[in-house]
Amino acid sequence: MTPIVEVRNATKEYRGVPAVKDVSFTLLRGEVHALLGENGAGKSTLTKMIAGVVEPTAGEIWIDGEKAELATPSEALKRGIAMVYQETSLVPSLTVAQNIYLTDDKRFHRLRGIYIAGQQFLQSLNFQVDPTAMVSSLGAGQKQMVEIARAVHHNARAIIFDEPTATLTPEEKHQFFSLVARLKQRGVSIIFISHALEEALAIADRITVMRDGEHVVTDAASAFDREKIVRAMVGRTLTSELYGSHKDRRARPAGEKVLSVQNLSMGKVVRNTSFSIFAGQIAGVFGLIGSGRTEAAKVVAGVLKRDLFHGGQVRLGGRPVRYRVPRSAVRDGIIYVTEDRKVEGFFETMSIAENIHLGALAGGRTKSVTVSMSEMRAIAGEWISALNVKAINADARVIELSGGNQQKVVVAKALVQKPRLVIFDEPTRGVDVGAIAEIHQLINRLADEGIAVMVISSYLPEILHLSDRILVCRQGRIVEEFEGHKADEETIMYAAVH
Amino acid sequence: MRIFGRVSQEQIVFGLAVLLCIGFAVSLPGFLTASNVLNLVRSVSILGILGVAMGLVVIGRGIDLSLVALMAVSVAWMLNLVGSGMPLPQALAVGLAFSLLVGAVNGWFVAYAEVPAIFATLAMGTLIYGFGRYFLFALDVAYIPDAAKPLLWLGQGTLLGVPVPIYVFAAVCIAGYLFLRYARSGRYLRAVGDNLAAARITGVPVRPIIVLQYLLSSMIGFLAGIVTAASVASMNTRLALSTYVYDVILVVVLGGIGLSGGKGGIRNVVVGTLLIGVLLNGMTIMDIQYTVQNVIKGVLLLTAIVIDTIVNPRDEQTAQQGDI
Repeated sequence: MTPIVEVRNATKEYRGVPAVKDVSFTLLRGEVHALLGENGAGKSTLTKMIAGVVEPTAGEIWIDGEKAELATPSEALKRGIAMVYQETSLVPSLTVAQNIYLTDDKRFHRLRGIYIAGQQFLQSLNFQVDPTAMVSSLGAGQKQMVEIARAVHHNARAIIFDEPTATLTPEEKHQFFSLVARLKQRGVSIIFISHALEEALAIADRITVMRDGEHVVTDAASAFDREKIVRAMVGRTLTSELYGSHKDRRARPAGEKVLSVQNLSMGKVVRNTSFSIFAGQIAGVFGLIGSGRTEAAKVVAGVLKRDLFHGGQVRLGGRPVRYRVPRSAVRDGIIYVTEDRKVEGFFETMSIAENIHLGALAGGRTKSVTVSMSEMRAIAGEWISALNVKAINADARVIELSGGNQQKVVVAKALVQKPRLVIFDEPTRGVDVGAIAEIHQLINRLADEGIAVMVISSYLPEILHLSDRILVCRQGRIVEEFEGHKADEETIMYAAVH
Repeated sequence: MRIFGRVSQEQIVFGLAVLLCIGFAVSLPGFLTASNVLNLVRSVSILGILGVAMGLVVIGRGIDLSLVALMAVSVAWMLNLVGSGMPLPQALAVGLAFSLLVGAVNGWFVAYAEVPAIFATLAMGTLIYGFGRYFLFALDVAYIPDAAKPLLWLGQGTLLGVPVPIYVFAAVCIAGYLFLRYARSGRYLRAVGDNLAAARITGVPVRPIIVLQYLLSSMIGFLAGIVTAASVASMNTRLALSTYVYDVILVVVLGGIGLSGGKGGIRNVVVGTLLIGVLLNGMTIMDIQYTVQNVIKGVLLLTAIVIDTIVNPRDEQTAQQGDI
């Protein structure tokens, strides 16, 4: 029997950085195939290639034994492949039935007609959703049902789910699993990306594990257990050379308690979390995406406003603080270095010097009303050489630099503000290998100078390499704490996945 | 699109203006006379001053559609106050204070109530004109009363043979340039326009800076209003209903100040003013109907905006960052 989808030696590069390297993958008819791996392992990119969202840089995709060129998602859909994203792609202001029949070729739909058809169709799938309900009024689980119904309506024979259970309640999860079983009965193949290992073990027929953009192992689900999956997810060869072994270095002793967070909550994302950060130490926060680590940090730094109904206390050096804008946090010495430098990191129309100097201006280092060009050049020169930013000169625009150098500018813009506590959120995302080492050295130097450093990362080697203490975040709270040199990858990963 | 990358929009527009100038000079006999050139620059200075006001807001990623309405109403009211016996300096102060107040309200709506600038200022423009007509003065046109005659110099006087409005335009340009380059708040303004989220995280007082944009634009607008009134000895408040404010936006966008904020500076306003000035003057000499002129301006504005979105595209890579 030919597999419904076959990926042959596919590679996808973003700006020369491979996200998926030479991966082959098959999806058989009527199977549930779980795709597992850490953040950045290449799961999403692989499935997006299958769904026609991104085109592979090299390699081929075969559907039903024929070579396919999938330039757009709608072409993939015509071939029977649908993808259900984490964030739904439904139109919230239309009804369920309207969404299901939205992209049909018919130019006009009689509402009554599609409601009757929708009712019958949803019933045939055994979905408890009212076709006349507005999508915006549905819960996450029901929205997912509508997405699936739409995919089935388009005769999807393979449905890709990107972390389908992340936003569901336990009851909704249960419904989702029975739904997957029903789809399977109808002969639909399913790819299922997840962080929840137990779920994958329970519902998948086969499991594929990816790591660092490469295929690690594919086997029948019965051949795996939790330990084996975790080992496959974290086992590293190449990366250990870069990061070295963390066991032979000594942890720095904790200094003064700079930040103490107690029972902090925000919406559903940060749930009653408590932790402390000490001066002269690096605290690594490990958690998968969606575990609330970034949000907790952003609340501390005043970037996100805390919901009034959710409480908790943040103390900076023993003094309770509550920041409504980052400006006051910056003035108090709490600096957040963003994970997304392009969206909220640097100013693309400004030069390197202007970017760094803006940090100095906004951080209150200079009080005058006018800007001194010589001061700007001096500060910029100092930081460009301190962080080894590679650029033609200080007047080059940040947008023209490589990812690593952009990141250095963003870091310089933060450090020029003389922080007491620096929160690095994914400090080496999208950064080349050489710059990673430099940024890690810099972070170590900061801690040696007595600054409290918090490093958020979903990359385990980075956490292990840098941290004196490791905090593990899961489902909106810090669940476990390890001493940096005693922890190992498996125990941390164990704590981070549920 | 690499061609646009190397040749900036500013240079393209400047080249166009020069070409147009040569074209008109050759084909239109009255174009290159000394009186016409001075007239051209004078008539265009007001547009240029307003362009600086609008430019500052657009660099800060806003837009001020109430600019012209506010200028017309505040200056007309000021003239009426002088006419009813208030001393000129006092009336000027009242007019300016009124302008600043409206500017602050605009800024508050945009910065604190987070209303999109285009709606907040569009509504404000309508409101101000209606308010002025109903409460502040009865007639559409406010003439310069005798007590305000000294103001006429600003619009009709000459200094060393050059009309005074040109000096005012130059002064506003220099002030704007110095502000953007050397003032701390000018630097903040560019940062907010470039990347609001980054500015906020860096600790820039984002909201006060947004309010400042609208304060500046209404202040410069008031000055432009006085020069307008002085050059024709009256202020016609129907200007508020005209498409004049779109001419100002045309100047700004055409000059190369991207509507997405952060890009460009005063130089772009000057270049944009030059092109529009030459174009409007040439069309008037050619006796092209006003309505046809509007068609040409409209097409030009659309073209400029299309070029703006091509030259400064929204980055598709942004969506893919961290999505590996």
